[in-house]
Amino acid sequence: MSDIATPTLSVSSSARRLPWGPMARQVLSVVRLELRKSFFGRRGIGIYVLALSPVLIPLIRFLNPRTFEREQVAQATEFFSYLYQIYALRIALFLTCVAVFGNMIRREVLDRTLHYYFLTPLRREILVIAKYVTGVVVTIPLFILSTLTAFTLSYLPHQGVQEFLFHGPGLRHLGAYLLVTVLACIGYGGVFLLFGSLFRSPAIPALAVMGWEGINFLLPPLLKRISVIHYLQSLCPVPLSEGPFAILADAPSPWLSIPGLLLLTAVFVAVAAWRIRGMEVSYEEE
Amino acid sequence: MSATDRHIVYEDVSKFYGEVLGVNRVTLSVPPGITGLVGPNGSGKTTLMNLTAGLLWPTRGSISVLGMTPDHPEEMFRLVGYSTQYDAFPPGLTGYQFIESFLRIHGYSRVEAEELTWKAIERVNLTEAAGRKVAGYSKGMRQRIKLAQAIAHQPSVLILDEPLNGLDPMARAEVIALFRELAAAGLHVLVSSHILHEVDLISDQVVLIHGGYVVAEGDIGGVRDEMEEQHPAQVLIRCDRPALLASRVFLHDHVVEARIHDDGKGLLVRTRDADRFYLLLNEVVLDTGLAVETVMPTDADVNAVYEYLISNGGKS
Repeated sequence: MSDIATPTLSVSSSARRLPWGPMARQVLSVVRLELRKSFFGRRGIGIYVLALSPVLIPLIRFLNPRTFEREQVAQATEFFSYLYQIYALRIALFLTCVAVFGNMIRREVLDRTLHYYFLTPLRREILVIAKYVTGVVVTIPLFILSTLTAFTLSYLPHQGVQEFLFHGPGLRHLGAYLLVTVLACIGYGGVFLLFGSLFRSPAIPALAVMGWEGINFLLPPLLKRISVIHYLQSLCPVPLSEGPFAILADAPSPWLSIPGLLLLTAVFVAVAAWRIRGMEVSYEEE
Repeated sequence: MSATDRHIVYEDVSKFYGEVLGVNRVTLSVPPGITGLVGPNGSGKTTLMNLTAGLLWPTRGSISVLGMTPDHPEEMFRLVGYSTQYDAFPPGLTGYQFIESFLRIHGYSRVEAEELTWKAIERVNLTEAAGRKVAGYSKGMRQRIKLAQAIAHQPSVLILDEPLNGLDPMARAEVIALFRELAAAGLHVLVSSHILHEVDLISDQVVLIHGGYVVAEGDIGGVRDEMEEQHPAQVLIRCDRPALLASRVFLHDHVVEARIHDDGKGLLVRTRDADRFYLLLNEVVLDTGLAVETVMPTDADVNAVYEYLISNGGKS
């Protein structure tokens, strides 16, 4: 053993500064560690593939010009709205959020490593927030990139695209899709962070939520409000036809949708934090 | 400063897992120094340690560590380090990254964390392996890196669950020396083991736990005397030439029995003096170049020992 000075109770000056500096540093340290162990290695590959999968369809279409050589920009708008709202939002982003946020706590329990966090001078509520921030930091840039690329590939080969983008509604559409993307990551992130803290396996509850979100158009107006997709859909620039059986409800205004979704997310994260605060580490039972 | 602020205090602590008893009505006050928590597998040692560190919550009673409780981790875990029994690590990290990452979560700056990480790694003699992934470490190295992580933030209370498991004789000696060094510096070192002889080597005081109840506590001397006469320690040595080892150890009067293991690749030794036996083993290895794979105290008769100690025949 090396001859090191005997340990004393000492907390460095920088660790003692109160209150936000050290706490922010702790949150950043959790984010850094989470990124390193879960997203920068092989474990992250599945998430990257899923997040970037919405690019594949417009890419194939882009590489095969015969499929759209006679189409106008309006058809590209319709194509992208279906691609985004049916696949990118309801499947790719949804499942990515299940994988990222649903495993934030669950994966630690399976790996038997949660106790390392619980044994640091970090309030568990702050740990939950730090994990949520990590998920948001991972998913938002991925889906911004995915949406931007898919949008570009969907419109680029069409005639009149410059007119649409710079003198028409193109940039407003893009901005709306990006806003929906950010809000979807925030909203579904909160939902699945909570599910990851409530259920041993978040897969079945996630399927239930997917079903609930999927039948949203059939729900009566009151129940429509208890879903993330209801608020997101109202922010999308091109509404989808919901078919003859859809029950119509007033779309919430953006001024209600955005704060409503953020408030709902805050509640989900707070409940997850409350769950983790009282959690016991007993891996044998898992 | 009251006695409560200097001790780890358990007041009527019980923990039930549904209807299964973890520990029951534990009332203890643990002073500074090395305290051995000893009992057979499943006796409640890990439950008591997890309760102490707030990984479990007591069903009844209360625990305070130097006057603090796990309700306030931002205070308590600056003073407490815990090396758990779980042989698991965050994936993909090197030994250095493992310790440094959690020091950063403690709130230390990059420079401070780097300095403390190297100090801790040097203390457990893992400097050369610090840059390698923990997943590639041997069992003994994983034990030592866990220990380094527990001491890296220089705690006042160190909780160690079976810390000598998987260590070779040299590493055991070094780690025990480290425990003594830490205790001499005024730390509370709470060590669990199901091997009585191991605790004998380490502890200033002992808490004997059985079936979830604390059945004895106090000075280790009484337990030690009882053990040496009535229940020799049993050690399994996995090595390349067990017959040679047997011939060498038989010459010593503290060795009661030496038996080649059924698979022919190890020697099972029963000795009345585990300390002397480990020294002897080191000598044999140096003299003969014996290739030792593992040295493992076995608990084949440990339950009998506990039964003996908690019955009327035991002095403790």
